[in-house]
Amino acid sequence: MTPRVSPILAILGLMWVVVVAGLAVLKPAAFALSTVTAVLQFSTILALVALGQALVIVCGGAGIDISVGGMVSLAVVLAMLLVNAGLPGASLPVLCLALGLALGLVNGFLVTRLKLLPLIATLGTFYVYSGTAVALTGGAAQAGVPGFLLPWGRGAVGGLPLPFLTLALPLFVAAGVLLHATSWGRWIYGMGFNERSARLVGIPVDRVRLAAYGASGTLAGCAALVSLAWLGGGRPNIGQNLELTSLTATMLGGIGIFGGKGGVFGVLAAVLLLVTLQTGLLELNVNTVWQVGIVGTILVIVLLIDNLALIRRTS
Amino acid sequence: MRAFLQRFGEREALLALGCIVSGLVFSILSPYFATADNLLTIARNSTELLLIGLGMTLLFGIGGIDVSVGTVLGLASIGIGRLLEAGVAPALAALAGPIAGLALGVITAFVVIFGRIPAIVATLGLLGVYRAGIFLALGGSWLSGLPVGLTNLLAARIVGVPVSVLVIALAYCAVFVAVRLTPFGAHLLAIGNSEARARLAGIGVRRVQVAAFVISGGLCGLAASFYVATYRNVEMTIGATLALEAVAAVVLGGTAVTGGRISLLGTALGVILLRLLQNGLLLVGVPSLWQPVVTGILLLLTLGAEALSGRLPLQRLRPSAVGAAWRGGVR
Repeated sequence: MTPRVSPILAILGLMWVVVVAGLAVLKPAAFALSTVTAVLQFSTILALVALGQALVIVCGGAGIDISVGGMVSLAVVLAMLLVNAGLPGASLPVLCLALGLALGLVNGFLVTRLKLLPLIATLGTFYVYSGTAVALTGGAAQAGVPGFLLPWGRGAVGGLPLPFLTLALPLFVAAGVLLHATSWGRWIYGMGFNERSARLVGIPVDRVRLAAYGASGTLAGCAALVSLAWLGGGRPNIGQNLELTSLTATMLGGIGIFGGKGGVFGVLAAVLLLVTLQTGLLELNVNTVWQVGIVGTILVIVLLIDNLALIRRTS
Repeated sequence: MRAFLQRFGEREALLALGCIVSGLVFSILSPYFATADNLLTIARNSTELLLIGLGMTLLFGIGGIDVSVGTVLGLASIGIGRLLEAGVAPALAALAGPIAGLALGVITAFVVIFGRIPAIVATLGLLGVYRAGIFLALGGSWLSGLPVGLTNLLAARIVGVPVSVLVIALAYCAVFVAVRLTPFGAHLLAIGNSEARARLAGIGVRRVQVAAFVISGGLCGLAASFYVATYRNVEMTIGATLALEAVAAVVLGGTAVTGGRISLLGTALGVILLRLLQNGLLLVGVPSLWQPVVTGILLLLTLGAEALSGRLPLQRLRPSAVGAAWRGGVR
């Protein structure tokens, strides 16, 4: 039940050092405060989404949320369409969060009330959400983000981007407190560890799980807000590949895929390592099409190493 | 009538009825729907999905899943395309598809079964790897205007029946025989029902699991041969929605998501219903961008209806079934 410090994280840390060292040798110009800002800026969206993914997985019961990317895309598109249709621009932040929450609760409803297998249910909603986002806009980006959001979305204090400082970081701290210092946190680890016993001792398993999917949706809504404030427009494909990257980040961060294991700060560390790796490769002119492949490879290799170590220990 | 229904399967009868009813509705709404050309188009568009769906049915049988099927088809298609471009005999190039698919199936099986990674996570990772592989192999451009040799080969007729129809019928029959008439099928379902009990019964669990993944890969490769023959080009986004469509068709067909119950005929009818709906909606003016949305909704509606009617308890989340589905049939 204690948050484990994954040996994987150490391996990834080593890879990170190698990449940073490689960068230092091959392209010293990349070492600047602006690079740090860029890395954190890119990390914010992934960090928010990965936090939601982590909460859902820790709750156990084969929990997984394939639809995270779809929720980000659809929240972005719907919020922009509503604002462009005449809703006040000031309501954009609330709209993003509310839409995210609603989409997340749909997942939660399918999983907890209809008892559908999470991976199939969220695979279905993933295509519904991301497909709707593209079909509603015909794939075109939606302009018209109210100006008051941009200083927040693009601003930085001491090299730390404001969305990271004021949204992602506090939410991670809040999630950490929730998991380790409240009864909800005990419930989440308990039901993730052994659902049957959790039910027997009276933990409201379905309600907690519904809340976890709702939280994942709301965090996707936050990510949607950050992307709007940062880019100044809504791209219907903004959530592309987020299911893969967020899953990789949670696995790297030491979240146990069967639930009940892992903490959120490992996830944050994993996100930063992943994004640094990607940014470093970008700086070294490695084509972006490699990135999805590299993330996939890391995911598979990391789980292989993890499991092979486990197999060797047990046999 | 009841005896017939039981023999044919209630779900299968429902699907056949669904095909007929939606066919009638579309032929009223659009004058182009019920033409021979259009029906032929639907049949041709169904072939790749049918082959991939058969493999996915087997994977569901052991409580597994493979979301990388579309990219396996893509990689195999690129292999076939390159061979055709190099002037290799069409028959050999067509064989290269299934061989490439089998090889990729072995990789997937290795990662899922021996790496003990949940099938959904492992195949999502492989999806990323294969997608990057497709980008690299294509080098930023499409394969297009491939030689017609393969197309002609599959369109050739043996005693009046096109080769393509023969190959598909053969593939379906082979899977059917393997599932219904050999121990493999019984073992497959036993593992899906309860892996622990299957192991206690002395079934070579891993061997059957590996076989399911490898067969699925091979069928994806075979589908690639048909894809190249039909479209004669390979684009970057090849097979992007195939995994969803295959899952939807298999679930429509009444195969249990959590393993232990499969229906090959149901999958075939599910594929036809899906393609028929997509074709019909396109003809009545729904833009093709909505297709993944329609497929996703159909998938969720089917599952939701099953859950609400409660008549198919296998489809529901049982602790033991979750274990099997989640470990991708491991241990």
